[in-house]
Amino acid sequence: MTARTEFLARIRGEMARASGAGTGVPAVRPDRPRERLDVLRRELAEGWRENLARFAREFERVGGVLHRVADAREVPETIARIAQEQGMRSVVTWHAASLGLDVATPLAARGLQTTAAPAAEVDAPERARHRALAAAADLGVTGVDLAVAETGTLVVVSGAGRPRSASLLPACHVAVFDREVLVESLAQAGLVLEAWHDGAPPEDRGASINFITGPSRTADIELTLTRGVHGPRDVHAVFVEQGLAARRG
Amino acid sequence: MVTCLGDVFYPEIGERIVRLLRRLGVNVEFPAGQTCCGLPLFNSGYHADAAAVARRTLVIFGEAEQVVVPSGSCAWMVKHEYPGLMTDPAERAAAERLAGRTHELSQFLVKRLGRRRFTSAVPGRLTYHDSCHLLRGLHEAESPRALLRGLAGAEFVELPGCDECCGFGGSFSVRLPEVSTAILDKKLDSVEASGADAVVACDAGCLMQMRGGLSRRGSRVRALHLAEVLEPSEGGS
Amino acid sequence: MSEPELATPLRERAGQALRDTFLQEALSIATTKFIDLRREAFAEFPEGEALRDQARAIKEATLQRLDHYLEMLIDNVERRGGHVHYATSAEEARSIVLEIARRTGARLAVKSKSMATEEIHLNDALQAAGVTPVETDLGEYIIQLAHERPSHIIAPAIHKTKAQVAELFTRALGREAPPDPEVLTRIARAELREKFLQADLGISGANFGVAETGTIVLVTNEGNGRMVTSLPRVHVAVMGVEKIIPSMTDLVVFLAILAKSATGQTLSVYTSLVNGPRRGGELEGPEEFHLVLLDNGRIGQIAGPLREALSCLRCGACLNVCPVYRQIGGHAYGYTYPGPIGILLTAMLNGTESVRDLAHASSLCGACLDACPVRIDIPRMLIELRRDVGEQRIAPWAERVVFGALGWMLQRPALYRTAVRLGRLAQRPFMRRGMIRWLPLFFGAWTRTRDLPPVARRTFQERWAELERESRS
Repeated sequence: MTARTEFLARIRGEMARASGAGTGVPAVRPDRPRERLDVLRRELAEGWRENLARFAREFERVGGVLHRVADAREVPETIARIAQEQGMRSVVTWHAASLGLDVATPLAARGLQTTAAPAAEVDAPERARHRALAAAADLGVTGVDLAVAETGTLVVVSGAGRPRSASLLPACHVAVFDREVLVESLAQAGLVLEAWHDGAPPEDRGASINFITGPSRTADIELTLTRGVHGPRDVHAVFVEQGLAARRG
Repeated sequence: MVTCLGDVFYPEIGERIVRLLRRLGVNVEFPAGQTCCGLPLFNSGYHADAAAVARRTLVIFGEAEQVVVPSGSCAWMVKHEYPGLMTDPAERAAAERLAGRTHELSQFLVKRLGRRRFTSAVPGRLTYHDSCHLLRGLHEAESPRALLRGLAGAEFVELPGCDECCGFGGSFSVRLPEVSTAILDKKLDSVEASGADAVVACDAGCLMQMRGGLSRRGSRVRALHLAEVLEPSEGGS
Repeated sequence: MSEPELATPLRERAGQALRDTFLQEALSIATTKFIDLRREAFAEFPEGEALRDQARAIKEATLQRLDHYLEMLIDNVERRGGHVHYATSAEEARSIVLEIARRTGARLAVKSKSMATEEIHLNDALQAAGVTPVETDLGEYIIQLAHERPSHIIAPAIHKTKAQVAELFTRALGREAPPDPEVLTRIARAELREKFLQADLGISGANFGVAETGTIVLVTNEGNGRMVTSLPRVHVAVMGVEKIIPSMTDLVVFLAILAKSATGQTLSVYTSLVNGPRRGGELEGPEEFHLVLLDNGRIGQIAGPLREALSCLRCGACLNVCPVYRQIGGHAYGYTYPGPIGILLTAMLNGTESVRDLAHASSLCGACLDACPVRIDIPRMLIELRRDVGEQRIAPWAERVVFGALGWMLQRPALYRTAVRLGRLAQRPFMRRGMIRWLPLFFGAWTRTRDLPPVARRTFQERWAELERESRS
């Protein structure tokens, strides 16, 4: 097997032979991205209405359905309505601390079979049980860590209390967000990614970040657009005007 | 520069260009000893031979004030590829100078002479095929269209898929003749469907390909060089 | 690995494709649609042109410090608990993956779409080692059931009609499948969902590797990339070394143009950033994460004539606009990577000899260069390959003689004029109503389908003296 040193030595050898070939520059990275992000967030706070309008346009263009509620307390009602319309029975959700509100209790009270993710590490059999529940669930509820107006994208970061499967295995994904996570452009999303990767990750941060731009789709058979090939067929986003409680993760 | 295809197969196009330019007050010379710009050699990878041919061309046109080429691909060869083929700095400098003085016909008429108004030598409906080297090599889509739109006595219509290759590609046309012809058929179907009486192009290669196909089809549509439709307007600008 | 298509010459393979009416229709519809979607996407994205330049500059900058960025990527992947492997050849890459499968006792592997694993023919090797590989991208799944290979970089089953897919599903899955894309997709969802949940090994490629963070980025529309990197207990990503980029700031530049070039989407549905194995507290994620860095001819091009091709994003835009690809489709090219960029990659992977004929499977129309999101000058490199084919005497002897003679003649005007006169004499028997409709031997390649203009009675040069007199009169 080729060793690291050998592999890189060959690359260096070839690079030396190529000296002078082409010119190029990488994109300019922000130094202190977390501070820059704080500044950006303050700037964005002003124009959130425009950004939400743009997000709504783009999100709907890619096949998402946007719901707006005034207060976090209306979120369970909205989710229950989505479930009811489609005859859905079972729900998996992020942990309340990661979501910024408890939906499990009110959804269960409405007769939906609801399972919330554990807030901390559990053993392998318990993980398998949760995975089976997610695979069997009709609807998955998640928070949103970043919403990109330019592209209508929801970004979710995995971690403790924030299972990846909630936005992947059920046929319907409902994401709950507020103005705090809204940015205007993909370039700004780049700054957020820089900030997230600046320094050691928090203990409960997971290993997966997903940009989700609409429902799962394919056009592999005669270019006929078909939804829900592996991931969700329906993606809903619930925007909470007055904001969610501070979230973990 | 008459180009090899223009010299051997389409001398009447060259003649028309000479007369047209003279009517526009241009003093036209034709330096002796021309053969070919070397593009076929270059594109097939025979670069040493292409460079030798290019060097001859540099000498032949060394004195010319401006060089007008009736074919986008040959103009591209001179403008785009000659300098890189030269290893000697003096020759490279000469190639750069020639490149700067060389113009494809439509560009010369519109951009150098500022002439846009002509009368059509061919009445009816005309459409235009962008030759690949003129469009994507020399980034010229507008000059030929400006001339065709400005033609008195003809109607100009855009050709659907005008920027798609006609399938000629030099030796490609005989290396993979079935593929070349399939690409051509698509082009000609589009030409015929456009309702045009003639498709105009600015490249002898495309003309050879399209005329070859139209003739085999027995089509009523003609493929013409731009110079074949331009007639100086009386008192035109 | 054997390339079954190569038993027949390129021209014949192309001929078969041209006679396949299903293929012709499918290609025409698909490429036209892709072209339109791409055009629309960039039309409403004015900053696209500048971003394309920037993306190219980033790729070039990365190549210039490739060792530096790779070291950084390796260190960061390992810091996050991942393992990095180094594969100089396809064979080495296969044995690395097989060894991981063996050690972890894997029996079932789910794969998300990856040209790199196609390139190293991983599936056959897995199968032979007793690991069942299941392609999970719908197009790839169809191709795998049909025992074929992808005909397009991003739409692998572009050559299949829904009726053919229905027939295939009915036969291979043993259940009645109607020719309805919606239903067929549902069937595949159900079949593959089981596999995702059972698989012990997930195999993916990588669209990007971000050096600063040690992140592997996968771009998919279906969500299979997420499944493959989250559900099995082991994840192996096979990544060509040239897929590396410096930072997250660079990543978003590429994301902004990749999907637009490929499918005309603003973004693909899923962009998945993989930061190593499952972390504490997560319910899902692999216990092991492996990154296989693949050379397989790439490193040799850092200082080679195909260096520019190392910037390729595998978006497929050059295929859609290529007049040759649009006629013959992907299979006729005969190798893993079809289309204009595919010819370059084939030469990179398999050497110049492999593209003796393929290097000429282009009219050099330049549409590929125009469409390429990072502006790779494909026509120029095709010409370079042709040059290599000629100079290394890989080109057929007869061809070299013909071009040698042509070069000789074009430098000698007297000879040129003689040749023209000879042509004029020789063509006489073949003239019909001012055109040549049939010629023997080699010339038949033109006249079988097209008429040829005859050598003029008098060439321009022969008319010049008269024209000159005209000007003085």
